[in-house]
Amino acid sequence: MSGAETPGGAAGVDERVVLAGIPLRNAVLTASGTFGYGTEFAPFLDLTQIGGFVAKSLTLEPRFGNPPPRIAETPAGMLNAISIENVGVRAFLEEKLPALPEGVVVIASAFGTAPEVYAELVARVSAHPRIAGVEINASCPHVKAGGIEFGQDPKLLAELVRTVRAATQGPLLVKLSPNVTRIADMARVCEAEGADGITLINAVQAMEVDVERRRPVLSNILGGLSGPAIRPIALRMVWQAAQAVKIPICGVGGITDASDAVKFLLCGATAVQVGTTNYLDPGAAAAIARGIADYAQRHGFARVADLTGALDARRG
Amino acid sequence: MSATTTGIESRSAPLRTRARVISNEPDGRGRTLRLAVPGWPGAIPGQFLMLGPGAEAGVARRDPLLPRPMAVYRDLGVVSGAAEPSIEVLYRVVGRGTTLISEAQPGQSIPLVGPLGRGFPVAPGPGLALLVGGGTGIASLYELARALLRAGRPVLVLLGARSQDDLIGRRDFEALDLELVCATEDGSHGVAGRVTEPLAERLRRAVGEASGASRAGIEVFAVGPTPMMRACAGIAAELGVRCLVSLENPMACGFGVCLGCAAPRAEGGFSLVCRAGPVFDAREIAWEGLP
Ligand SMILES: Cc1cc2nc3c(=O)[nH]c(=O)nc-3n(C[C@H](O)[C@H](O)[C@H](O)COP(=O)(O)OP(=O)(O)OC[C@H]3O[C@@H](n4cnc5c(N)ncnc54)[C@H](O)[C@@H]3O)c2cc1C
Ligand SMILES: Cc1cc2nc3c(=O)[nH]c(=O)nc-3n(C[C@H](O)[C@H](O)[C@H](O)COP(=O)(O)O)c2cc1C
Ligand code: FES
Repeated sequence: MSGAETPGGAAGVDERVVLAGIPLRNAVLTASGTFGYGTEFAPFLDLTQIGGFVAKSLTLEPRFGNPPPRIAETPAGMLNAISIENVGVRAFLEEKLPALPEGVVVIASAFGTAPEVYAELVARVSAHPRIAGVEINASCPHVKAGGIEFGQDPKLLAELVRTVRAATQGPLLVKLSPNVTRIADMARVCEAEGADGITLINAVQAMEVDVERRRPVLSNILGGLSGPAIRPIALRMVWQAAQAVKIPICGVGGITDASDAVKFLLCGATAVQVGTTNYLDPGAAAAIARGIADYAQRHGFARVADLTGALDARRG
Repeated sequence: MSATTTGIESRSAPLRTRARVISNEPDGRGRTLRLAVPGWPGAIPGQFLMLGPGAEAGVARRDPLLPRPMAVYRDLGVVSGAAEPSIEVLYRVVGRGTTLISEAQPGQSIPLVGPLGRGFPVAPGPGLALLVGGGTGIASLYELARALLRAGRPVLVLLGARSQDDLIGRRDFEALDLELVCATEDGSHGVAGRVTEPLAERLRRAVGEASGASRAGIEVFAVGPTPMMRACAGIAAELGVRCLVSLENPMACGFGVCLGCAAPRAEGGFSLVCRAGPVFDAREIAWEGLP
């Protein structure tokens, strides 16, 4: 839990970072699909105390997800196969965004089945003054058509990023799938096609079985694994992507506390997203932001931004 | 994504806090966990909490990871001599999370988020309220029974379980001023057989004897395993009686953001059990689509 305030320990540390051209008051965002449309968290934390949040992935039309069971707990993590259930772009812009307090940084997440669909969505959301930037979800691990294929095939990914880039001048992040052999290749494609930043990772494709009933635990059979179980995989991918590209990286995967978050920064991330942890501790993101500032101060960093890539990776 | 609204929305926002364990004692095959919860605003009968899977140790727990949904069994308020409000959770040890909760010692703290969800509507009037509890579903009915009594309703509670020791919470219900019928499958306590049998009989009799407002106001409130709730809904529907249920789908967050708890609606689409429910009118649910 993250109840206690850190007693002014981090005074003097500059917590601001710039991610894909988006100025953030601190390096902690919350991940798409784990933070609803923001207002759900109002009882638990001050939304202006975090860097911002990525809203649930949107489709052009409202969409219902998979039948239950949609989730299952697994060792140090969980599986989900929700399948981008969302209110659709119109309700998001007209109802969800206006319900948020001023000063909250909102990044919209877009999902589609064809590059043109993503482009239309991105054009519509990025035109809205309350939207700081767009993240395209090229990596949903359990929607059959679209999503994951874009994140897995470098040619499709290039076409997707190119088409979306043409549709917006605003900050554009591409969220990549971990379900690939060479993440660095995918990161290079994003950079070459003009993305402003990369978010990784989405959930890792996985499954679980109920042996007594001899059935998969999820109705969809396959799902996405998230939570602490995937953190070392996410860290490795952030590290590899950071070696391959110059555009900023937003690290996601299994972050539960400030120390986890700092690992991503040291491996080359400019900012991080907190995902599954929001479910068990809806105030966690704000506490993690404070904890990062404390870390920076204890280690003599004047700016949180200076932690990015500060890993000492010499051997021995 | 749900338009529903049989359940009653809370007056107060949920809080996220650490609850302190006051006691954690066996009750037959179940256990009663009493917690002191600073700032607890009180719950509507039928609301629930998300309880961390066990007491906090020095380091944050990462396995098991997710909190466990638990009904607010008894909402005790500030009992004399105490500084903070206290509540009780009535639970059964069925897996890793509840095993860890059963090991929590007095004085330790457990992360808690709540009260969550929509609770039972409680209307005054002469209509008989038949409360049917099976297994751990019994926990959702105690405060409901008290609220119905306060509203002046005649209340009949029917509890069902495999055997006597599975009738958790029975003594607390016995202490209330209401008629209690217990059914055990092995006949070790009360009538032998399933609780749906005395329900069908008593409901038929109540409908037959009543007229006017007391006939129209008869309601069934059923909480327990899905097949039990579905059977109760069927019995009530046959007699034209409203049946309210409380679903127990697996949950990750409890406040509407993971979308993991969706239940299929009779009219198509899904309702989030944690937010639109857990209390629903049985007719809102597409029962065949529940796992
Ligand atoms: C709104 C709501 C209120 C609830 N209130 C209570 C309560 O007051 N008292 C109580 O004892 N339990 C209650 N439950 C059920 C309780 O949450 C589960 O028993 C608990 O999460 C199991 O955790 P575990 O780690 O011990 O079991 P796990 O290791 O997660 O699972 C062990 C076994 O229990 C089954 N199981 C897991 N979750 C559920 C569930 N939600 N319903 C039925 N079976 C399940 C699993 O399929 C598995 O077979 C409630 C659930 C909901 C959704
Ligand atoms: C229930 C659930 C729903 C999710 N929905 C989305 C989504 O709509 N769009 C998206 O880009 N990522 C989605 N994700 C992935 C998360 O944003 C994140 O990338 C992933 O869970 C790894 O981070 P974590 O381990 O911190 O949760 C979802 C994750 C979960 C657990
Ligand atoms: S439990 Fe997360 S949405 Fe209901």
